[in-house]
Parts: sequence; C-alpha cells; structure tokens
Amino acid sequence: MALHIPKAPGFAQMLKDGAKHFSGLEEAVFRNIRACKELSQTTRTAYGPNGMNKMVINHLEKLFVTNDAATILRELEVQHPAAKMIVMASHMQEQEVGDGTNFVLVFAGALLEMAEELLRMGLSVSEVIEGYEQACKKALEILPDCVCSSAKNLHDVNEAASFIRTAVMSKQYGNEDFFANLIAQACVSIFPESGSFNVDNVRVCKIPGCGVTASSVLHGMVFKKEAEGDVTSVKDAKIAVFSCPFDCMVTETKGTVLINNAKELMNFSKGEEDLMESQVKAIKDAGASVVVTGGKVADMALHYANKYKLMVVRLNSKWDLRRLCKTVGAVALPRITAPTPDEMGHCDNVYVAEVGDTQVVVFKHEKEDGAISTVVIRGSTDNLMDDIERAVDDGVNTFKVLVRDKRLVPGGGATEIELAKQITSYGESCPGLEQYSIKKFADAFEALPRALAENSGVKGNELISKLYAAHHEGNKNTGFDIEGEGPAVKDMLKAGILDPYLVKHWGIRMATNAAVTVLRVDQIIMAKPAGGPKTPKQRGHWDKDGWDEEPDHFDTH
Amino acid sequence: MQPTPVILLKEGTDSSQGIPQLVSNINACQVIAEAVRTTLGPRGMDKLMVDARGKATISNDGATILKLLDVVHPAAKTLVDIARSQDAEVGDGTTSVTLLAAEFLRQLKPFVEESLHPQTIIRAFRTATNLAVSKIKEIAVSVKKDDKQEQRQLLEKCAATALNSKLIAGQKEFFSKMVVDAVMSLDELLSLKMIGIKKVQGGALEDSQLVSGVAFKKTFSYAGFEMQPKRYDNPKIALLNVELELKAEKDNAEVRVKSVEACGGSIQTSVGALTEDVLGLCEVFEEVQVGGERYNFFKGCPKAKTCTIILRGGAEQFTEETERSLHDAIMIVRRAIKNDSIVAGGGAIEMELSKYLRDYSRTIPGKQQLLIGAYAKALEIIPRQLCDNAGFDATNILNKLRAKHAQGGMWYGVDINNEDIADNFAAFVWEPSIVRINALTAASEAACLILSVDETIKNPRSGADAPPGRGRGRGRPHAH
Repeated sequence: MALHIPKAPGFAQMLKDGAKHFSGLEEAVFRNIRACKELSQTTRTAYGPNGMNKMVINHLEKLFVTNDAATILRELEVQHPAAKMIVMASHMQEQEVGDGTNFVLVFAGALLEMAEELLRMGLSVSEVIEGYEQACKKALEILPDCVCSSAKNLHDVNEAASFIRTAVMSKQYGNEDFFANLIAQACVSIFPESGSFNVDNVRVCKIPGCGVTASSVLHGMVFKKEAEGDVTSVKDAKIAVFSCPFDCMVTETKGTVLINNAKELMNFSKGEEDLMESQVKAIKDAGASVVVTGGKVADMALHYANKYKLMVVRLNSKWDLRRLCKTVGAVALPRITAPTPDEMGHCDNVYVAEVGDTQVVVFKHEKEDGAISTVVIRGSTDNLMDDIERAVDDGVNTFKVLVRDKRLVPGGGATEIELAKQITSYGESCPGLEQYSIKKFADAFEALPRALAENSGVKGNELISKLYAAHHEGNKNTGFDIEGEGPAVKDMLKAGILDPYLVKHWGIRMATNAAVTVLRVDQIIMAKPAGGPKTPKQRGHWDKDGWDEEPDHFDTH
Repeated sequence: MQPTPVILLKEGTDSSQGIPQLVSNINACQVIAEAVRTTLGPRGMDKLMVDARGKATISNDGATILKLLDVVHPAAKTLVDIARSQDAEVGDGTTSVTLLAAEFLRQLKPFVEESLHPQTIIRAFRTATNLAVSKIKEIAVSVKKDDKQEQRQLLEKCAATALNSKLIAGQKEFFSKMVVDAVMSLDELLSLKMIGIKKVQGGALEDSQLVSGVAFKKTFSYAGFEMQPKRYDNPKIALLNVELELKAEKDNAEVRVKSVEACGGSIQTSVGALTEDVLGLCEVFEEVQVGGERYNFFKGCPKAKTCTIILRGGAEQFTEETERSLHDAIMIVRRAIKNDSIVAGGGAIEMELSKYLRDYSRTIPGKQQLLIGAYAKALEIIPRQLCDNAGFDATNILNKLRAKHAQGGMWYGVDINNEDIADNFAAFVWEPSIVRINALTAASEAACLILSVDETIKNPRSGADAPPGRGRGRGRPHAH
C-alpha cells in the first residue's frame, strides 16, 4: 500500500520503508544536544558528596542504589545514539583512571549546552568545534600549573588515606575517613617497593549484617565458603593448591575390567582406596597441612584428608584460585600429586570464622606484605554494601592513578574555576570567531562547582561569584566548602580535598572529545528496527483497543 | 514534520524524580512497618500468612513475615533487607529494627517536605547513631565470664527476654533453660548447625526434650533388626557413608549417620581401614518411641559438641513457629556468650537513649538540633508500640517513663504485667547490648539510604513480553 504513494524526492526515497532520517541543525544537532543534556541532568544531581543517590532497577529487576555515574549509566541502557557517545566517554574515563566518571558527564553536558547557545547565535558548527579544541588544548596546558601538591610517600598509610578521602567522600559522605583509612591500609600493604600496583589485588568481600563501621581490612583473602573436612583451623599452614578436583584420576579412555571372583571384586575397589590413601598421604608427607582444590572433593579423598588431618577448602572460581596462589605463593597443580616444597604456599593462619551468620574461610597473613589484601564490607542492606564496594573501587583506583602520577590538584571546584578564569582571558586574546566558543568552554567549567553547590542546597550563582572573587585575588586553591553554611569557600589544600591530576586531565579530554563528536554529527539515519510486526501490537496496547480488533490492524497496515 | 520527542532510554523505562519521589518512598516504608507493627513485644499479635502454594505460616517474627510478604517496591525492600541483616547478625529484634527505620523516616517526612536537604538529615542521623551506640556501650552492664554460675544466669535471662514476645512465652522458663543447655554444649565456634531441631507432632510443649548427642528418625533397618537389642551401652560407632551391604558384619551398630561431630568419630567412606581413633564413642544408643515415630538416640557422647532438640506440640504451624522462636533464642544466647554486656529491654534502653539524645540536641545550634531531636523522638516508638500492643494508654506510660528517666531511673521500662513502669534491669528483662546496637545502626543506615535516593529509574524487564503502555516513540500513530 505504501509503495503506491509517491514519495517526496530526496534522501528518504533511497532508504527502505520505515527508516528515519534527520538532518541539519534543527533536526539533528539540537536533538542530539537535547538528549545529552537530559542525560547529564540525571547524573548531575548525583555529583559530589552531597549528590543524591539514584535507585536504578535494571532489566533483570536487580536494584541498585548508587550515585556512581558509571553504574547508573551501565544499568540505564541508554538508547539514544548521541547520548551513547557521552556514555562511552564516561566508560573510557572509568577504564583509564577509574574515577571522575560523573565529571565527564556533567562537563560534556555543559559543553553541549553552551554549544547550543553558540549555534543559535549563528556560529557554524565547525567554528564551535575549533574553539572547543583550542580551549581544551589550552586547558590541558594550564592544568599542570594548578597542581598544588604531590604525593611524597605512598607507602605511608596516613598520607595515602588523605588522598583517597576525596574520592570516597563523593560516594560515602560521612564515612569517608573510616573508609579512606581502610582502603589506604589495603592498598599500601600490597604496594610493593618496585612500584607496580594492581587494582585487582585489593579484594572485596561483602557480608551482610552489623553496620558499615564494622567493616575491616585484612592481609590475605576471605572466601564465603566452608571447610570441607573436619579440620577448621590451621596455624602456620603449608598450602597445596590443586586446580583439579580432589579425587582420584579418571582415565581418559574407557576400560573394561573382568572380575572373576569375589576376592578380585573386593581388591578392585580396595586398590582404588589404597591409591587414594597413598596420594593423600604423600601430600601430607610433603608437609602440606591445607589442601585447596578448584573442583569437587570426593568423599573418599575427604575421608583420607580427615584421617591425615588435612584441612580441605574448595574454591569454585578459577580466578579465586589464581589469586589465592598469588597470596600464599603456591603453584596450582593440575593433578593430584605430592607438591614439592617450592610448589606449596605458606600462610600464617587459615581458619573458618563466622561473620554475621555467614561462614567464611580466612587465609590471613600476620605481617603486612601479602600480595593480596581483602576489604571485608559489612552493612545492613545489600544495596548499601554494593555502593560501598563501588566506593572502595574508586578509592583503589585513585591510589593506582597516584602511583602513575603523583601530582594532585585542588578539588571542590577550585581547579575548574581557576581553569575557567584563565581560559576566559585566553579567549579574549584570540582574534577570530572562536573567541566566543573558547569563552563558552570556560563557562562550561562553572557547571561543576554549580552542581556541587546546587546539590548542597546552595545558590550556584552566589558561590561562583565568590569563587571568582577569591581566584582573582590569587587564591588558586579556593573551592566550595561543603560543610559550611551557605556559599562558603575555603582553601582546598588546607582542607585536604585533593583530586589526582590525571583524573582531571583525562576527564577534560574525554568530555571535550565526546562533545565535539556529538556536534560533528549533522545527519541521523535510523534503520527501521528489526523484529517484524511489533508496531501494531504496541499500538493495540497504546490505544487501549480491544484485543479482538488487533487482526484488522494487521490487515490494513 | 512534527517535532519527534527525544527517546533517551529504552522503551518502557519508568523514571520518577524529586521530593515527591522521596516522600512516596517514605510512605511505602510506612506501609511495610504497619504490617509488622502489631507483632512487637510480649502482647504482640501473630500473623497468619498463606503463600502462593497455600502453605499457612503463623509467626510474629518480623523477618519471617517480611520474607513471606514478597515485597516488590524498591525502597520498601530496603526494610526487608535490614530485617534480614538483623536476623543474620543477631537473630532477634527484627521487628524492632523495621519499626525503628520506619519511625525514623516518619519523623523525617516533615523535614523533607519542607525541603531540607536530605544530606543534612543524613549527617545528623549518622551523628545521632554514633552517639547512641557509644552511649549503649557506656551504660551496658557487663557480666563476668569467669563466673559460670553468673554467666549462665545471664544467658537464661536473655533467652527468656527473647522468648517473651513469642508464641511460647508461657513456657519460657522451660525453653530458656533448654536453649542455654543446648548452646553451652557446643564448642567455641558455636556453630548453629550443630544444634539440630526435630519436630514431632503430638504431645505437649513440655514434652520437648534436649538430647546431648544426636537423635533422628529411624529411617531404615535391615531384615532381622527385631532381633537386635534396642539398647547398647557404651557402643563404638562406625560412621559409614556407604551402603553396608556387601562389606558388612564387621560393625556393631547398624546405622548410617551423617552427624559426625556428635560422637567424635569421622565419616568413613571405606570400611577397609577401621582404626580405633575413627570410631566414635557414646554412652547409650537406644531406640525409643517418640509420638508416632521411632527415634534413634545417641546419648552422652564424651566428645560431644552437638545436641538435638526434639520439639513436641500440636499443629504443624505451631511447632514451626516454636522452632523459629527457639532459633531466635539460640542466636541471642550465642551473641550473649560472645559479647557479655547487656542492657535492659522493654523499651528501657530506648527511653534512656532518647533522653540522652534530647539533652544533647539542646546543646547544639542549627538544623542538627531539630534532627537529632527527631531521632530521639523516633526512639520512643519501641515503648509506645509495646504499650499499644498491650492495650495500655501509651501516652500516660511514656510520660511516666520520661519523668522517671529524667530523675535518673536509667533502666525503667514498660512493665507489661502490671500496666505500669518498672525497673526492667531488676526485673531481669535483659538483652545483649549487641542486639540494640545492631538494630540502631541497621535502622539508621536504612533510613539514610532511603533518604539519599531522589530518583528511581526502572528498566523494563528483559525476556518477558514488552511492558504495556508508555510506548513513547513507537507507540505513535503511524504517519502513513
């Protein structure tokens, strides 16, 4: 039916029926900007310590309560193509530095908002883009000048805690000192002198019950498992790790055994038992006192393990097994053989403990130089613990970033205002039309302290004027005082609110790139979504028509 | 062309935002609390719930009720979570924790509606909780562990307080003794699994008994078992995990047992290597008729670290509720062994904290004063609800309590028996302080969590058919 109607000449004619096509400023660019703005509005209220949480229920009906932008976006399933670009920028930020995801979103949103004003003013898209790129370059040049402090000794728990504090603050405001300390302990204890730091070595174990302040950190690992056998606690343990099931070997090929009489039958199973016993005995004789296995534990094997007083722990995850190997310094053996002394790991204390009503197996090192440390999170609800886990994640990432680059810039909006100030004056020195867009770029920086202020119930404009005043007097480190009444400002360096340099560096870069990419798009072509006659079905619903009418819709369509 | 609306999220995504959202979350939590409100305390009523499969449950345990309610509201789920967490951590006080959280939210609602910033409220609440917890720690009475007599007395009192509010309150002396005996027979890990509870229908509650050892329903016997004696003295026991068919006749007791620790033996998978040390010992093995069942008993094991409670009682629901009550009491006793400090129950500790926080709030300026005052007021919900459930005039009793606490009567709480107030410490209404500490922290954490949410975004469920309505983009009538 649709085929007979002559179509308007143009681009649409070339496309399949049902495809959507938008082009030009009005249709494409502004629409994209609007979508991105909407997205950044959602996360803007989650920015900073006073940011609000979001309750996100994902498609599997799992509930998340968080103010971590990366998590919100991941679970939101953003569909709009332009908004997706911003989401991608935020993901890149997470992968690159692990923190500051919300910074990217808010800043990119602000940049696009400003771009819309510029475009409506009559600037062309390319002029806006050029200005933004110049300004971004300039901002990254200025940023090193904003550095106000640098980490001297990351092996010092107190110093590390003071840097991690800011990152944790935005997630767990009120508990930041407590958690910063925990995270710092966990990080410092596994931070080797050689200076390479692996985020994966800080593990998190969540056990419901009690309060968040009952969380703790320990050197070694904690598994939510029980010991298989009778032995529940071993001190000064020698650990044999097997990646295979703790069972006798199953032959690869099928065999047939001919049994002639009762005696042979008895000896048949007896031989198997004896073999198992000799294997377990060999393990014991090699000096091992704990056996960790990656697979099932056979009843028979367990029997002999109990007999020889071996503690047996079963881990289901291959990764857990590898991490444990790293922690205790063992080599995972692929088959049940007696380990050599080199292949066995050592741990000061292996025991089963009850935390809340959960049984856990703890591998604990007394001294502080284990390869892996675990943060045990307690909390009254699962959501709360998940959120704390994300806070720990951010904290650990901050530490990692600091290992890479020790420089720190003041937080609380101080850096942003300083950049805004300097870029504005730089913009004024530019002759061309890009002057406008450079100045708007500077204005976009104001969005961050503004979001901080508005989330705290303070008027954004008052704060920003105060901040500018302070920065013009040369106080480069003045930022928003979140604890003060009203639009109070204070010196961020003295307050110890510092962000790693790299977080800001990448944040500005990612946000600008994303904004520029969104602006560059001037045509959107959407193919008709596959999936057949879904539309009429939906329509039936939407119109609240009776279901009986449905087939008619099909036919006329 | 008409302007097309921007579709940002997946079709069918539902989002709501702002203060109305916060208020509606708070309201949802109130509803949940209403469901368990009347179960608090000795005079609380029980609930009968019938689940989807038609199974009836009678309970007044907050956690059990909430679990069965199958709450779907995301914010209200938080309350279910904290009840569960309380159950996991201390085992009792699940109703109190839900009530407290809901009451905190109720007291805060006016502040939220007047658009006070939620983060300010959260900060105040965290301060108040910390103060309250340190106050509990400060005033809690600790009992010396070395004195076995005294410790035992403490444990029995705590168990009795926990049982007070349950269905079996009438037999609380009987059961509190039993529970303490049961827990005392465990090793230092106090593993809950080592206490078995078997239910046998029929008989009276008082016919329930504690077996120091293992008891289980006789499941299986060989032909010719009639010939076997029904009682062995000082048997050695081989615990076998395998069929005793072919390899038989070496052993002296023909049973398959999985409860290894009972007799100090180890499970044997093979009969090949029976040595002296893997065989268990016990004083008596016998077969006894309990109700309509034959039961096997292993009693008086020298290395025993386990025990079994055999519950008797009428209806099935009744024995089930008794089991839950005993579970609560056992958990309480275990906590009391680990933390030997106690406080007085019956609303006494809440009144004292309320007074302390109210006094404290008057010393500080600003919004915090009002908020900590609200926290203090919310704490009074526990004694108030106790009175309401018992049919007393709550206002009157609370006035008396406030007056008494102001005069320094630290442990005065509601006296359920005499419709008055009494020194609950002297009346032996004791609870481990950890129960209260955990309840307060969990309740305020939950309240803070709910307050900190300003937006709910609900994605459509994947897999299921597309949700009805709200099809913004595609739902538009077609242009052609």
